[in-house]
Amino acid sequence: MRGPWSRWGLRGTVTASFALGALIVSALLSVGTYLTARHYLMDQRQATALRQSYADASFVVDGLLARDARIPDVLSNVNAPVDSELVVRKDDRWYSSALARGAQTIPTDVRDGVVGGAVTFAWTTADDQPALVVGVPLPAADAEFYEIVSTTELRATLTTLAVVLAAFAILAALAGAGLGRVASRRLMAPLDDVATAAARIGAGGLQTRLPPTEDPDLATIVGSFNSMVEALDERIQRDARFAADLGHELRSPLTALVASVQVIERRRDEMPPRTQRALDLVSVELDRFQQTLEDLLELGRLDAGVRTQVLTQVDAAELVRISLEQSHRDPSMLRVTGTDRGPAGHFTVRVDKQQLGRALVNLYDNADRHAGGVRAVTVQRIRDRVRIDVDDRGDGVPEADRDRIFERFVRAGSRGSLPGSGLGLSIVAETASSLGGRVWCEDAPGGGARFSMELHIAPRQAPTATPVADHVGAW
Amino acid sequence: MSLKLLVLEDDDGIRTALSLAMEDEGYEVTEAPSAEVALQLVQRNPPDLMLVDLMLGGMDGFSFIREVRPTSQAPIIVLSAKTDTHDIVAALEAGADDYVTKPFQVKEIGARLRALRRRAGVTVNPGGASPAEQTTLVLDSDGGPLVLDVNAGVVRRGADEVHLTLTEFRLLCELASPAGRVLSRRALLERVWDRGYFGDERIVDVHVRRLRTKIEANPNAPQLVVTVRGQGYRLDIR
Repeated sequence: MRGPWSRWGLRGTVTASFALGALIVSALLSVGTYLTARHYLMDQRQATALRQSYADASFVVDGLLARDARIPDVLSNVNAPVDSELVVRKDDRWYSSALARGAQTIPTDVRDGVVGGAVTFAWTTADDQPALVVGVPLPAADAEFYEIVSTTELRATLTTLAVVLAAFAILAALAGAGLGRVASRRLMAPLDDVATAAARIGAGGLQTRLPPTEDPDLATIVGSFNSMVEALDERIQRDARFAADLGHELRSPLTALVASVQVIERRRDEMPPRTQRALDLVSVELDRFQQTLEDLLELGRLDAGVRTQVLTQVDAAELVRISLEQSHRDPSMLRVTGTDRGPAGHFTVRVDKQQLGRALVNLYDNADRHAGGVRAVTVQRIRDRVRIDVDDRGDGVPEADRDRIFERFVRAGSRGSLPGSGLGLSIVAETASSLGGRVWCEDAPGGGARFSMELHIAPRQAPTATPVADHVGAW
Repeated sequence: MSLKLLVLEDDDGIRTALSLAMEDEGYEVTEAPSAEVALQLVQRNPPDLMLVDLMLGGMDGFSFIREVRPTSQAPIIVLSAKTDTHDIVAALEAGADDYVTKPFQVKEIGARLRALRRRAGVTVNPGGASPAEQTTLVLDSDGGPLVLDVNAGVVRRGADEVHLTLTEFRLLCELASPAGRVLSRRALLERVWDRGYFGDERIVDVHVRRLRTKIEANPNAPQLVVTVRGQGYRLDIR
């Protein structure tokens, strides 16, 4: 599959090979058939012509030996077939049953043979028509007899045969190509399955496996593929479990710490200033610790995937507005485009409200920490998607960093001055992808950075759109 | 008189810190390190509110809630890990009223407890336009009539009292003011649990289901508290 073939692709190569093979085989068969048939038919025609000529010659001899015979009369009395023409040479004169032809039609080697006293024949053309010339010496009458037999029919037959055989050869080649196409598709189908499965796994569907097969040729590849995914899945699960366990273990002491510090804080006024400063430090760092832990746990939940999501249908514009309100930001920053024209459900998305709300607040917090705050939030419908743009007041994000900032623990600035956990944007990215959407960063038209999140519109009234209380027991 | 709060938590650090914080909030706190101890305490001195951790050594939080529910209508808040989303639903079905996820802020627990202790300060109204304020309402006249008495805080079928938890009772009162109107899950979350837009609507669904098992003739084919698909719930008086 290297070299010139690789350009064709596996499918093309297989198809072409099948076509070429079919063409060669069918062409050989056709040519062979044609040659055999031609040989046989010409032999037949020759034998018939010879028999006829002998019969006609003996009739002419009889006529010539009769008294007062006139050669033209003799010739016209011969009951020769219509496609035959009789020519007699006697006493250095030529006599012919047809006007048009005569001695000039007869090839010299036939004449020479007859003059030499032998029955001679040859294939020739007369007036551009194929013909067989048979010469018979008539020593009894001291004459030469020639019969010119037209073989137009034979040629027509052979031409038809050639055309038909050529057509069949081409058809066979096409059929070969078709067969090659089918065979290559059959061959490629398992490869396509592997490619599809790999793509699905790449997109996070680690539960994907290839269906087991009876085919001994495929069993090996299917088996090793599946065990590879198995190992990968197990490894990822183990990592996720470890992170989750770590989070849980840290959570208990942290909960106790947070509650205790809140008890101490109530008595802040009773403390000397130095202790107050120390307490403030503990509070701030504890907040940061708690935020980081919550972010880590949130990422763990996102890693665990849909199993822990509580999906409901909500209006994206409303969710954005409420997320602004609840995080004590001005909801008038929100611009919703297309609501006037759009029908109900224009912005309906199927999401985990809390997760998406948290992701949005992370975007606002990110703007506050790194870029002087949120300047505008826009919700708009683009075809089958809802796009949420968060524009900030900063200097924008350098192009080289635009993908990197969505990774875990990556911060744009120095760590010391910034309170974030470094996980906020990766939570945003993973929330979006767990909901089948995406996020990216670009320059906002009015300056600053724009963080955009795109989510799919929920299909109208999906069967599970509303959790019906009657079915709660099924959980 | 301050409200009595039971804190059931096996982690000494969390339990102690939580007790200190809740005493600051004005509650009279009783601590229990295990469900077995807590059950004895509940019998001896019934609390007004309970904070219950789900993961305990010995008897777990779910069993404790199931055990204590038949005799206590006091609101129960579950302390849970949010990753265990199934645990939350299971705890609600066992009889918990609300949940808080660890690590929590003391402020949040205070707010949740206050929301659950709010009075069902509503007037029930069968048609929505009745000028006289009613405090009793006949919900179902089939068999022994099912009567909601808001002032007395009870529901009776005939002469027998139907044992609703405080939260179930408040949910029923909200649905009854006025009856026949559809209330969305969000509206119910706000009115009964004081939770906003991001609240977990499953809390409502589980409570409606629990309410149905207590007041409906056939909880699987509800005729009083009916689901309005895609909108919410409605109380139909029969």
